Amino acid sequence: MADEINNINRRDFLKSAGVIVTGSALGAAGMTLRPEMAQAVEAVEAIPTTLTQFRCPICGKNFGSFADLKNHFATEHPDAVVPVTTKLNINGKDCEVLIEPHWTLQRTLQFKLGLTGAKHMCDRGACGSCTVIIDGRPVLSCMTLAVECEGKSIQTVEGIAADPKWRPLIDAYCKWDAMQCGYCTPGMLVTAKSLLERNPNPTEEDCKQALAGNICCCGTYPRHPTAIMEAAPAIKGGA
Amino acid sequence: MADLAGVNGQREKFRVVGKPNLPGRLSYGIATGIAKYGIDYVVPNMLHAKFLRSPYASARIKSVDTKKARKIPGVVDIITWEDEDIKNLSSGGGFMGPALPFLDNLADQEGAEVGVIVVAEDEDICEEALRQLDVKWEVLPHVVDILEGRKPDAPVIRPSPPPAKGGFGGSGMGGNNNPPKKGNVSYSNVNQGDVEAGFREADHIIEYNVNLPAFSGHIPNPTGSVAWWFDDPYHGEGKSLRIEGTPWGHDQVVGMYRMPAEKVFQECMFVGGRYCDWGIRKSQLITPLLAKRTGRPVRCVNDRYGMYDFNLNQRFIHLKIGIKKNGLIMAIDDFSIADNGGRGSSSFGTTMDQTYGPYFTTRCQNVRQNMDIVDSNRGKMWVSGQHNPMNWDALMVGIYVIAEKLGKDPMDIATLNLHGPTSQTDPDPVPSFEACLKAAKKMMNWKWHGTGARKLSDGRMHGASFRYQQCPRHSVSGYNPKLELRNGVVHMPTKGPVIGNYIMEANIMVVAEELGLEYKDISTELDHHEIFRPWGGGSDGTTASSWALKECANILKKRILEAAIEEADNPPASMGFGFFAKKPAGPSPLKGRKPEDLDLQDGKVVVKADPSIGVPLAQAVKANLFATYSGRPPLALWTHQGKKLDTMNIAMCEVAVDTETGEVEILRFGVVADPGKIMRRTSLESQIDQVMDFTAGCQLYEDFLYDQKTGVKLSTNMFEYKKVGMLDMPRVDLELLETRAGNAAYGSNGISHSLANTHLVIMAIHNAIGKWVDPPATPDKVLKALGKA
Repeated sequence: MADEINNINRRDFLKSAGVIVTGSALGAAGMTLRPEMAQAVEAVEAIPTTLTQFRCPICGKNFGSFADLKNHFATEHPDAVVPVTTKLNINGKDCEVLIEPHWTLQRTLQFKLGLTGAKHMCDRGACGSCTVIIDGRPVLSCMTLAVECEGKSIQTVEGIAADPKWRPLIDAYCKWDAMQCGYCTPGMLVTAKSLLERNPNPTEEDCKQALAGNICCCGTYPRHPTAIMEAAPAIKGGA
Repeated sequence: MADLAGVNGQREKFRVVGKPNLPGRLSYGIATGIAKYGIDYVVPNMLHAKFLRSPYASARIKSVDTKKARKIPGVVDIITWEDEDIKNLSSGGGFMGPALPFLDNLADQEGAEVGVIVVAEDEDICEEALRQLDVKWEVLPHVVDILEGRKPDAPVIRPSPPPAKGGFGGSGMGGNNNPPKKGNVSYSNVNQGDVEAGFREADHIIEYNVNLPAFSGHIPNPTGSVAWWFDDPYHGEGKSLRIEGTPWGHDQVVGMYRMPAEKVFQECMFVGGRYCDWGIRKSQLITPLLAKRTGRPVRCVNDRYGMYDFNLNQRFIHLKIGIKKNGLIMAIDDFSIADNGGRGSSSFGTTMDQTYGPYFTTRCQNVRQNMDIVDSNRGKMWVSGQHNPMNWDALMVGIYVIAEKLGKDPMDIATLNLHGPTSQTDPDPVPSFEACLKAAKKMMNWKWHGTGARKLSDGRMHGASFRYQQCPRHSVSGYNPKLELRNGVVHMPTKGPVIGNYIMEANIMVVAEELGLEYKDISTELDHHEIFRPWGGGSDGTTASSWALKECANILKKRILEAAIEEADNPPASMGFGFFAKKPAGPSPLKGRKPEDLDLQDGKVVVKADPSIGVPLAQAVKANLFATYSGRPPLALWTHQGKKLDTMNIAMCEVAVDTETGEVEILRFGVVADPGKIMRRTSLESQIDQVMDFTAGCQLYEDFLYDQKTGVKLSTNMFEYKKVGMLDMPRVDLELLETRAGNAAYGSNGISHSLANTHLVIMAIHNAIGKWVDPPATPDKVLKALGKA
C-alpha cells in the first residue's frame, strides 16, 4: 500500500470545505452565506488562463513547457498520441488548455477549467444537460471536441449567471422551483437563455420547442415555460 | 385525525407556511451549475478507477490475469476480489451499508461490477486496462424472462436458499407456513378472512390480468465519488478521510472503513434524482480504499450504462374478484409472479407490496395474496418501487373492470367499496375522499362513458380513467432537530442531503412561522456531522420533520422569551470595553414583565396585550440559546396498510387513440390531492408534475428489453430507453385541498409518489378502444391489440 503524503493538505481542504468552515463557493452552505451571483463571478474569474504546468496524462509527470512534454512523449511514450494545447474563449475570457485531442468540451470544462455547470449525464447527445452556447447557438458539449472550439466564443451557465442581465431568468427558475434534483437545470437554463436571445417574447409553445432536447428525469417540464415567460419582460426591459 | 399531538397543530392563521414561491435555499447555486454533485469534483493529482463489468447476464470469473493490463503506462493499481484489502472491507453503516463480499467473482446481471477494479491516471487508460485483462469466464445459465424462469425445468440460477433481504424494506420473504423455495421460485402467501366464502357470496366473479412493467429509476446524475486521505491533527491520530459523492452515506462510509465519524469529512450535499432509490453504489464507496492504496485522490464514477437499475420490477398479476350485483367486492384473490431481481434487491415489488397492498382500503376483508417470486438476472431494485407504489393499480384496474361490467362509473364503484376512516368495517365516508371526488368531477367535467362509446371530432377515440390513493405517508424523515439563536439570528443546522424535494425549506417555513420570523430570517447550515437529516419520500419528509421542527421551535421560543425578560430585568452594564463601551439605551419596555406576557411577532419580542410594544429579537436577546427536540408525530395512517384512511388523492386521465395509426395522445391528466395542509405549494405541485411524468413515461415510452438468448440488456442508453421529454409531457390540471386531516405538522400529510401509477393511461386506452394493451402502449402494440398488426 502506498503511503505518500498526497498533494492535498489540510489548508486546501479547509479552503474548499465551504460547508463547514469558510462558506466558499464550492460548498452548499456557501450559497447561503454569500451573495449568490458572486459565486458565478468567482467561477468565471477562477478559470485558469495560462498553462503553467504541462502534465503527462499517461504517467502524471509535470513539465515546465509544452516542448518538454513533447520530448517526454517522444522518449517515454512514443506510440501514444501527444496532447495538444488549445486556446478557448470561455465566458469572454481567453484561456489555454492542455488536452488530448479526443477530449470533449464538457470534459475540458470540468477537468481543466473547473466549470461544473455543463453536466455529464448521457454523454452521447441525448439529454441536453451539458448544453453551452457556442457562437450564439446552443450546443451539446459532450458531443463537441474541445479542439474544434478554437476561435469560437463559448458561454457556459456560469457566464450567464455572472451577467446581471440574466438574473431575472435565474430568479424565476428559483421562484417557480423549475428544478428538483437540479442536475439537468443548468443545461435547461442555458437553452432558455439562448431562446430568449433569439426570441425575447416566447410563447409557451416556443419554450417547449426550444427545450425539447433537454431531458429532466424529475419531470419539471411545466415549470420552465412559466419561469421563462415570467422572466422575459424583465430581461427585455433591462437589455 | 388532525395534528392534535403537537404544539399549535390547530393553528388557523399562517404567515409563512403555505406562502407561494419562496425559492429553495440552494436553488440559485443549483440552477447556475455552482452546486457540485459527487462526480463534479476534480482535485489535484487525482487518479481514476473503473470496475470490470460483466458482459454476461450470469457468469463467474474463473481466473483473471492482470499482467498485460498492469504494463500499460498510466495504470497505477489493479485490485481483484481475491485481494485481502477487498476481503477486509466491513459492511457496517446501517441498512444501506454495502453488502458483503463487496466485490466477488460472480456476476448476476449484464453490466454488474465484478472481480476487478483498475486505477489509472485517467479514465481512458482505465478502459484500456480493462480491455487488456485476460479474464476466464464461466458463463452460467441465466433468467431474464421470469415466466420461463418459473418453470420447473428452468435452470436454477441461485441454488442456495435466498439470503435474508437486506436494505430498506427488507423483511425477508416467504414468511411463515410458506412452501420452501423450489428451483428459482420463492413463495409468499398472505391471507385475510375467508376468500372462498366471499366468492360464494358473490353474484359475479371477474378475472383479469395486470402486467406491471419493469421501470428504470434512471438516475440523471451518474453515481460516483472522489476520496482522499489527509493529515489532520485536530481529530485524533491517523489520517482523516475526505469523500465527495456519498451525500447521504456518511454512516455507511464510516462503517465500511471502521473510521471515527468525526474523521470522515464530506462537503457535497447534492444528489441527482434518486426517486427513493437510496442504494449506495460501489462506485460511491470504494474510493477511500483505492486512495489509501495509491496515496492519491481517486475518483470512481459509473457511466450511463451502469445506471440502469429498476425502480419498479416486473410483476404479472392475475386477479379474481367476486362482487355483488351493485359492484361491492366480496373477495379478492391476487396471484402474482414477481421478479426477485439480482442479489440484494429490496422487497418492494414483492413481499412489501403484499403488506401495503391497496386491497385493505376496501370494505372487503376476504383477501388472498399468493406470490411466486422468481430469481432472475434482469437487474437490481435497490430500494423501492416508486412508480407504482404498492401495486395500487391492481385494484384500480379491478374497479375499472367492475364498472365496465356493470355499466357504471368507476368513481361510483370506488365510493361504494372504500371503507370509512377508522377501519374496514367503518360505514362512514372518508371526508377527504369525498372532497377530492367532488373537486375531481368538477375539474374534468366528468361524464363517464362506456368502452368505445365516444369518438372525437377528428375521428380518434376518446377514453378516460380514474384512480385513487391514500396519501398519509410521512413515515420516514429526521425527527431530531436542533435550533440555535446565535447573535440574534436563528440557525437550523442539518446534515442534508439536498435531494430536490425542498424539505429543508418547508422546515424553515415552519420555524419562521412559530418564531414570528420570515423565511429569509432563518439561517441554514449544512454539515455532514450534524444529526438532523430532513429527508424522506418527496413531501412526506416535509410534513414529518416539520412536525418535529414545530416542537423544537416552540422550545426555543420559550427560551427566547425567558431570556428576553432576564436581559430586560438585568441588562448588562455596558457593551464592550473602554472607549468602545456602549451605555444601555434606557430601560427595556420588556422590563418587569413575565415570559407568558410576551410573544414573538414580526421579528420582535412583543407584549402580547399590546404588540406595538416590542424590541427587535437581536436586541432583546443577546444570549446564545439552543433548543433540541427528539420525537416524531403519531405514526402515519399509511402504516395501517390502508385499513385506516385520512387524506386521499385522485388522478384522472383523458386520452385520444388513433385507431388507424395506433398513436395514443394523453389529452390531459387531472389531479386532486389532499395533502391535509399545504406547507410549500410548489413542492407539492412539482411532486405531482413528477409522478405524472412517470405515469406518461412508463405507460407510453419506457421499456426494458433483453436479448433472451444472451440475457444482455438492449435498452441501456437514453436513446433506446425513451424518457419523457418536454414535448411528451401532457397537460396536468391540479387542485390541492386542505382538509387538515393528516397528523403531521398542522394536519398535513405527504403525498409522496402516491399518485404515480402504471395503468391510469392503460385504463383510458381500454375505455377508448375496448382492448387491453400492456405498458408501454406503443403504436405497434395498440394496432396489434386492435388486430391491425
